[in-house]
Amino acid sequence: MLDQQAPRSADLELPPSPSPTAAAWADLVEGTARSWMWSSMAMQDIKLRYRGSVLGPFWLTISMVVMIVAIGLIYARLFNQETGRYLLFLTIGLVIWQFVSSLITDGCQTFLSAQHVISQVCLPFSVHVWRIVCRNLIVLAHNAVIVPFVLVIFGVSIGWNVLTIIPALAILTINGVWVSILVGMLSARYRDVPPIVMNFVQVAFFITPVFWPPEALGHWTPYLVLNPLFAAIDVVRAPLLGAAPLPYSWSVLLVVTVLGCAGTFALFVKFRSRIAYWV
Amino acid sequence: MASFRLRNVSVEFPIYQATYRSLKKLVLAFSLQGDRAREDSDRIHVQALTDLTLDMEEGDRVGLIGPNGAGKTTLLKVLAGIYAPTGGQVHSSGKISSLLDVKVGLNPEATGRENIILRGMYMDVHPREMRAHVDEIVAFAGLGPHLDMPVRTYSAGMAIRLAIAVSTCIRPEVLIMDEWLSAVDERFLERAHRRLGDFIGGSNIVVLATHSMTLLREWCNRAILLDQGRVVVNGSVDEAIDAYHALSTAQ
Repeated sequence: MLDQQAPRSADLELPPSPSPTAAAWADLVEGTARSWMWSSMAMQDIKLRYRGSVLGPFWLTISMVVMIVAIGLIYARLFNQETGRYLLFLTIGLVIWQFVSSLITDGCQTFLSAQHVISQVCLPFSVHVWRIVCRNLIVLAHNAVIVPFVLVIFGVSIGWNVLTIIPALAILTINGVWVSILVGMLSARYRDVPPIVMNFVQVAFFITPVFWPPEALGHWTPYLVLNPLFAAIDVVRAPLLGAAPLPYSWSVLLVVTVLGCAGTFALFVKFRSRIAYWV
Repeated sequence: MASFRLRNVSVEFPIYQATYRSLKKLVLAFSLQGDRAREDSDRIHVQALTDLTLDMEEGDRVGLIGPNGAGKTTLLKVLAGIYAPTGGQVHSSGKISSLLDVKVGLNPEATGRENIILRGMYMDVHPREMRAHVDEIVAFAGLGPHLDMPVRTYSAGMAIRLAIAVSTCIRPEVLIMDEWLSAVDERFLERAHRRLGDFIGGSNIVVLATHSMTLLREWCNRAILLDQGRVVVNGSVDEAIDAYHALSTAQ
């Protein structure tokens, strides 16, 4: 009730505040639990982007098909590949590359694009992260419809190991989460980061075997182990081509996942409460 | 039981000058080790709140007054959990809703109906629950056939009515509110006022920043006068208003 005197209990001890680690963990847990929130936000993002267009998000699919056909016909000859097999290789490679690369570039905007919300409403920061990841999963789903067609047309015999793409995609999604937090925080703090990341992704497209076969590197092929983006593509692409991923691909991916999650979590613990001041 | 406990809370904003917040500067700063002092002077800190110790209990309707730049909005944001204080401790219990900018979460490209759901999400309200309020919101805001049109086609008055109707359809336990009634046009003012009165009445704790002494007297049972980030008065409404007037004449 109304209190005219000096504040009561001002000398009262407060219960200790939760540690930054506990707070960061709670942020992740509570944000992840609000799947209804970030999934609708992501859906709304896509809906708004294509409002008024007849084909809507399937424009993504179409532009992907155009790119595949254009690159496919030319490069199959350049690399002396059999066209059908190469188109399949290229399709899966581009679809996964599109997912991975746009997670990285979109990740820069994780907190910057939510600037207004962050400064007005208290929500777990991980809600904004999942929104970005979910949005990219929706785009992936639109692009992925091409894959079964190509598989049927070029009749590849796939084995049971094709099921490994399920954990592979799950791991890629987890990596999307830490990447969005990491580049999202860096971009909020240092505004030069988004163009740097953009540049990096552009270069990475050409130095990663997305549209060129890894064997084309000749005796340099083993050095691909240094490129985790290749591992990310390989674990999904190889099973769909009826082959096994290179032996080190899974290990590279798992190491990157563990290191990325641990490192990003440490940064998130340290700087989470500063994000609102940065954006 | 909803409550707020603030102990020696301070908030300091880093102002990154346009040139500071770049990697170039950071890299340069590392390579010019002797330059530490100047590098530090490049980064300005603004002390927005200094050493605030406050308690708020169930039933408190706290009016927050003070001249522009006194730190009212910053204090609201600390209470809402948006800013973690840079010094001191905040302890709160109860589910807090902040209503700082009525238009947050509204998207001009989306339809009125979509915006109701969207705005609800930013208030942490599930779409299922929001759908139950659609009819009532439409009636209050007078949207009628515009409900399924993009909000950008609305008149300014209609948009603000929608914003108010949506923001006030759920009774929050703890309400943190910045005054934005001034954005409402005359004809609508009375209805908005009544709705807000009900809205405030339904909350356990209300913290309202305002410039209107009329609203302060009507809606609040205690008041805090802030000036330059410090508490000047923490007591009754009359006490705070007197001190506020004394402060403005002194300046």
